[in-house]
Amino acid sequence: MLCIVSVMLGVATLIVVNSVMNGFSTKLRDRLHGLLSDIVIEAYDYDGFQDPKAKMANIMADPFLAKNIEAMAPTLEIFAMLQYAYHDVPFTRSIRLIGIDAQSRAKVGGFTEFLTQPERKTTPSFELTQEAKVRQAKNHVLDRKPAYFQELPMDPSAPPPPDPPPSKPHEPQGLIIGHAIAHFRDRTQGSEGQVKDIRALEPGDDVIITTVSGQKMAPVVDRFAVADYFRSEMSEYDSMYVFVPIEHLQKLRTMEDRVTSILVRLKDFDQVPKVIKRLKEILKNEPVEVQTWEQKQGALLAAIRVEKGILNILLFMIIGVAGFGILAIFTMIVAEKTKDIGILKALGASRFGVMQIFLGYGLLLGLVGCLLGTALGLAITQNINEIESIIGSITGQELFPRDIYYFDKIPTDVHPMGVFLVNIGAVLIAVAFSLIPSFRAASLNPVRALRYE
Amino acid sequence: MSDLVELPPRQTPNAVEVAPWLGKAQLLQSTPVVSVHGLKKAYRTHIHSVPVLHGVNLEVEKGEFISLVGQSGSGKSTLLHLIGLLDVIDGGEIHFEGQRIDNLATSNRDRIRNEAFGFVFQFYHLLPELTALENVLLPLMIGNGPLGWFFARSKAVSLAKGLLDRVGLSHRMDHKPRELSGGEMQRTALARALITKPRLLLADEPTGNLDDESGSEVIRLLRTLNREEGLTILMVTHNLEITRDTDRIVRLSKGLVVNEEVQPAA
Repeated sequence: MLCIVSVMLGVATLIVVNSVMNGFSTKLRDRLHGLLSDIVIEAYDYDGFQDPKAKMANIMADPFLAKNIEAMAPTLEIFAMLQYAYHDVPFTRSIRLIGIDAQSRAKVGGFTEFLTQPERKTTPSFELTQEAKVRQAKNHVLDRKPAYFQELPMDPSAPPPPDPPPSKPHEPQGLIIGHAIAHFRDRTQGSEGQVKDIRALEPGDDVIITTVSGQKMAPVVDRFAVADYFRSEMSEYDSMYVFVPIEHLQKLRTMEDRVTSILVRLKDFDQVPKVIKRLKEILKNEPVEVQTWEQKQGALLAAIRVEKGILNILLFMIIGVAGFGILAIFTMIVAEKTKDIGILKALGASRFGVMQIFLGYGLLLGLVGCLLGTALGLAITQNINEIESIIGSITGQELFPRDIYYFDKIPTDVHPMGVFLVNIGAVLIAVAFSLIPSFRAASLNPVRALRYE
Repeated sequence: MSDLVELPPRQTPNAVEVAPWLGKAQLLQSTPVVSVHGLKKAYRTHIHSVPVLHGVNLEVEKGEFISLVGQSGSGKSTLLHLIGLLDVIDGGEIHFEGQRIDNLATSNRDRIRNEAFGFVFQFYHLLPELTALENVLLPLMIGNGPLGWFFARSKAVSLAKGLLDRVGLSHRMDHKPRELSGGEMQRTALARALITKPRLLLADEPTGNLDDESGSEVIRLLRTLNREEGLTILMVTHNLEITRDTDRIVRLSKGLVVNEEVQPAA
């Protein structure tokens, strides 16, 4: 019975951990794949490459590529600083500024589905909504420009503050800002297992973006207005990405007609190797690198794989411990049943027959343990969020901090093959650890066994 | 004990039935059931070697009821175990129905023990978790294997019930050994020994743990089996009283047969 419980707990743990890790991994892969598209044609540095339109036309001129490519979107990426005022308190963040054409980026995918305003999902743009425009206008009527530049105490050793926003009124460009940049997490309500997002930037609010321009990398500043939020539920992206119109960013950076990458979406992902090969041929003289999304995120994906592998080995040790339990208990059973084994042998039971009894018993233990463990593991996986909230409310500690992943709930993904392999492994361990006692039982001399007291 | 159930008639085995694991040509008719030559056995520990049998010679004819007697330590139980292939000899030869069996492979020794020999022990050696009926069925379960047992079960159960009835235990079939008296346990063990229709019954002090009445009952059963079925029986005993019912008394002393006494026919 104890052996069954040991095997059951080991199998259940493995299934739960694997399912949760698969859930995270699948969600992460989906997000990464969505955000990066299938193939990325990327410049070696932030200076980008010239004339993306000509390159895209060149690519589409190839019949094979034209047949396989669904959409392409040029993007211009650069690091930048973003400033805004919340209740007149300055906030400065480093961001990843991405210039895109909203329409073409939407066709590549992994963009509009993460925007929060429903109308923008169908007609993606940087246009402010009417409500946002009203708020924008109201902010300027009330002169709610960031007042902190004047109010900050002057410290001679402090670095000079960034340039103030342009004094002359101008219509700011709309931008789509990462959800985590525009919101704070209120952790004071964490005791109930709930977290609340406090919005620091409403649609229509001003932000100031400082980046570099030209070959000398001179600082340039511009004022933008928040049009929408980008919420991919991946903290790395939601806390870093800010999308602006590509033409505007090209002007700001004095990089007219230059981009840093072209995202390519294929009609059939299975065609990736052939498309990559063809693209490399076409772009062999260009200063670009052609990679799949998996190659681009290779280190991260490899890290997840390694982590999962190591965790599996460690968790299989739990079943190994259960195996030693089986070994110990079976050894005791053999000692206790020596006389009975002697009787069976005296009546003609073969060595293999006696071994079969114990191996069969081990197999049965393994099978029952696996069956119960699989049922328990799947039940826990199915209800993991409820279990997490119950444990959280008992211990007062949030087991799954949602602000790390921005997932509403713990993602799970049960792979039937994985469950099958865990079961096979556990049964094999149970049988393997019953081998030694069963061999001992089979080797008993009948006369000595019958005389055993 | 009335209305004894008749066992199926025992047939003279042909060559293949006698020893299918051996060659047909090697078989001889009118050979003794058991023939032992120069049998030696010593029990060894890490340091000591205790010789028990020093070269025993013995022949058991078909249909004989032999009692092996001797003092404790004379080697009579050891001789019985060696003939029953429960242990390995150190020297000499054992022949069963004309064929040498002491040097057979383990699997063949197991098969002979299961099919050709029946064992009755002083301490019954019934499996405590099984009922009387299941204990009787045990040799057939072992012999048939899991798949064979599936098909042979119903026939075997009726045979086992018949045997339990014959030994007077039809009312105890579903009882566990702990719920049976010593005499009942020994009769269950006897039914178990008979279920495979053995050609040699080896009884190691079958009455040694029983009161006089139960012991007499067991001996009466053995005698009936011997006379009516022609079952060859080799019995180890301390009790000289019960040797009167046997055909021949073989006396062992210090690991050697010192005397053989043929009993007058009853």
